Amino acid sequence: MKKPLVAAALLMWTLLFSPATSAQQPPIALTGGKLLTVSHGVIDNGVIVMENGKIGALGAAASVKLPSNAKVIDVTGMTVYPGLIDSETSLGLTEISAEDSTNDRIELSDEIMPHMHVYEAFHAESELIPVTRLNGITNAIVAPDSADTLPGQDSFVQLAGPSAAEMMLVRDIAMPLNFTGDQRRNESREKRKFPETRMGMAAQLRQAFLDAQDYEQRAAEYDKKKADAIRDKKPEPAAPKRDLKLEALLPYLQGKKTIVLAAESPSDLETAVRLAREFNLKFVLNHISHSRPVLDYVARLKVPVIVGPIYETPKEYERFDAVYSLPAELNQRGVKIAFASFDAHNSRNLPYQAGFATGFGLPPDEALKAITLNAAEIWGVAGQLGSLDVGKTANVVVANGDPLDVKTDVQRVFISGQEIPMTSRQTRLRDQYSTK
Amino acid sequence: MGRSTTIWMQRLLVLALFSLAMRSAAQQAPAPASNEVVIKNAVVMTVTHGNLKNASVYIKNGKIAGVGESVNAPASATVIDAAGKYLTPGIIDSHSHLALDDDVNEATSPVTPQMMMQDAFEYQDKAIYRALAGGVTTSLLLHGSANMIGGQAVVIKHKYGAGRDAMLFPGAPRSIKFASGENPKRVYGGRNELPSTRMGNFAVQRDALVQAQDYMRSWDDYHAKVQRGDKDASAPKRDLKLEALADVLRGKLMVQIHCYRADEFLTEIAMAKEFGYHIRAFHHALEAYKVPEKLAAENIGIATFADWWGYKQEAWDAIPWNAVLSMRKGVRVAIKSDSDDFARRLNQEAAKTMRYGGATEEEALKMITLNAAWIVGVDDKVGSIEVGKDADLVLWDGYPLSSAAVPNKVLIDGDVYFDRSLPGYGMPHYTEGQ
Repeated sequence: MKKPLVAAALLMWTLLFSPATSAQQPPIALTGGKLLTVSHGVIDNGVIVMENGKIGALGAAASVKLPSNAKVIDVTGMTVYPGLIDSETSLGLTEISAEDSTNDRIELSDEIMPHMHVYEAFHAESELIPVTRLNGITNAIVAPDSADTLPGQDSFVQLAGPSAAEMMLVRDIAMPLNFTGDQRRNESREKRKFPETRMGMAAQLRQAFLDAQDYEQRAAEYDKKKADAIRDKKPEPAAPKRDLKLEALLPYLQGKKTIVLAAESPSDLETAVRLAREFNLKFVLNHISHSRPVLDYVARLKVPVIVGPIYETPKEYERFDAVYSLPAELNQRGVKIAFASFDAHNSRNLPYQAGFATGFGLPPDEALKAITLNAAEIWGVAGQLGSLDVGKTANVVVANGDPLDVKTDVQRVFISGQEIPMTSRQTRLRDQYSTK
Repeated sequence: MGRSTTIWMQRLLVLALFSLAMRSAAQQAPAPASNEVVIKNAVVMTVTHGNLKNASVYIKNGKIAGVGESVNAPASATVIDAAGKYLTPGIIDSHSHLALDDDVNEATSPVTPQMMMQDAFEYQDKAIYRALAGGVTTSLLLHGSANMIGGQAVVIKHKYGAGRDAMLFPGAPRSIKFASGENPKRVYGGRNELPSTRMGNFAVQRDALVQAQDYMRSWDDYHAKVQRGDKDASAPKRDLKLEALADVLRGKLMVQIHCYRADEFLTEIAMAKEFGYHIRAFHHALEAYKVPEKLAAENIGIATFADWWGYKQEAWDAIPWNAVLSMRKGVRVAIKSDSDDFARRLNQEAAKTMRYGGATEEEALKMITLNAAWIVGVDDKVGSIEVGKDADLVLWDGYPLSSAAVPNKVLIDGDVYFDRSLPGYGMPHYTEGQ
């Protein structure tokens, strides 16, 4: 059973990470730039060659032989770095926040909605996507809003492609489990709708996973009875009714996919972790902005943490930098971190969050890693993305300075080796009104 | 687990102390700064006359008394060695709602000019401290945008721990908040009341101003009678709402208008001309880049976001080049927070204008200092490092117009109100539970 799945997954990778239209395109060589490889240091006066959508070669100028047909672009004085990865966004699920007709972020009818798939709502032509990639963000997790405990499943996208199908690199890559206290139905105080407490939410989650276990067992029993019936040449038993909710939980119960466990305070965090362990869920942590007192406990869990937004307001009794300094504190304890914007319109500002964290002790190379390679590793795509390495997808950014600084202007963006036009609805408005 | 339990108990204790402090803390205002301070060896970013390397700023009685490579400070002055650090004026946030808790919008009528934000200002709100730690020394606290004509603003200095009265900016002019566009029409339209359209918005505004004209006339008539010695003259009944609007018409209140769309700037300008008042600034003003000449011609400033956009329909045409495109056409531009969060890192927001449109370092810095001070009406007192101005200063670890800069110390009226090197909150004038 396992092998065909793996083979299918590999085939999918090959198909998805291969650019659809770059076969005829000559190789592109960027020369003279400062390469921030993320995986193996900085190469001054480097060369990077992009061919067939992948990084074909890179290294110091003298060490790389340019293909004779290469289109050479001089990027002397520029920094060159891998496309940035935003580890949680609602890109493609929203256009104008306050206009409901443009939002597909969350189903509020129930807290347990694991059968919601963001790829079925992802709006590839969203005006937000060019705005985002113009600042060097080339990949993102698209997640449903966090108002449900189990709001649906995340997908991993590439922010350019002929259509939603090609942009959707990994469907249902992970599933959020939100336990921040905000998922209670507070309006249920009047409506008396379950759950209105954390106990209620935990009980509801536990029941959902138990139901899924039961569902799995019945399916297995059915398979066995059916096999027996075929063997004994007897009438086949009636198949159990499919339940999409419970079916969606199975890959997570089986530990095949990752749960993104969101909590803020130590008590919520520990309850959520207990729940996850009860069902042997494979998980990474999300937010934990107010769990500063238990960071050693977090480190002992030996799981990565999606940090932020570090702009989360500290509690009244906390120092001003209690949340700003979390990335540095986690990094010091050996925890792998990745940043996320948790936004759509402002996903483009992801690198500034990482930059700000350096002001509070996070080493700059770790900050860059937390929006590139760490994220790729957490999402299982480090074989293709997250660093400048030969063989990886050519998601490459050229900018006139430090990728983490607000003043840095991104000059060129390549996604799967294709140069992205540096235009968006915003640049068009700028050009329209600055020439009048 | 044992450790975390202990920490939780400690936290509970801290919380208990905190609530006690809330009730009983007689927070002491520091003695008026008569002491003398010299900040030495800093890169001084004056805003008005360039950067001075390895320079000193001499502070006496809370004011800047000297700026330059050498200053005439007495040997007794306290020395702050700022080698490797940058000194800027305190940041001025020209659009804030912090410390107003849930009292931002009196959304029971679209015209509420008699609301005084000073009456609601919660001086112990930690948001004031967190903005201070981000380098903010002055904020304009405005009424919300539910109403076409909201309340009157209060200008504060972020002297957290000094007590309420010490935080009010002495001599700051009065401002009033107007709003237009989606918010008023949504709030009242949602209740099936007037206004539910932009036509309705402006009709409500005009109607209020017409009433104010009548009210002003009745008082003018009364004063004229008194002037003539008419013993029978009787004073009209005071009406706080119309009195405030009459002050708008008399030019005694600076008008700050929440306004997004280009067409609405033009309508607001026409309305101001119709009634004879001046608009100090459009706030948010995300479409200023479409009609910058129109704003510049009226000497109207803008307090805008660096790159926030798309959160509602009227923010759909927002572009991050707005600030610089408008500035290049002569508009006085400030970058503001409108958010307890953004207030903590306005330096980064200002720095974005260097990238989007190529503002110079000084132009970018002006957008959160001198230009913001002008919008608030306190540019004669703060907003630049010049002799005679209030010693509201930020000493930065690192170049301030960058992602990674963090204030090391923040001084207000010459006193250190925030010092990052101190433990706890980093506030020398504030101790919880004292």
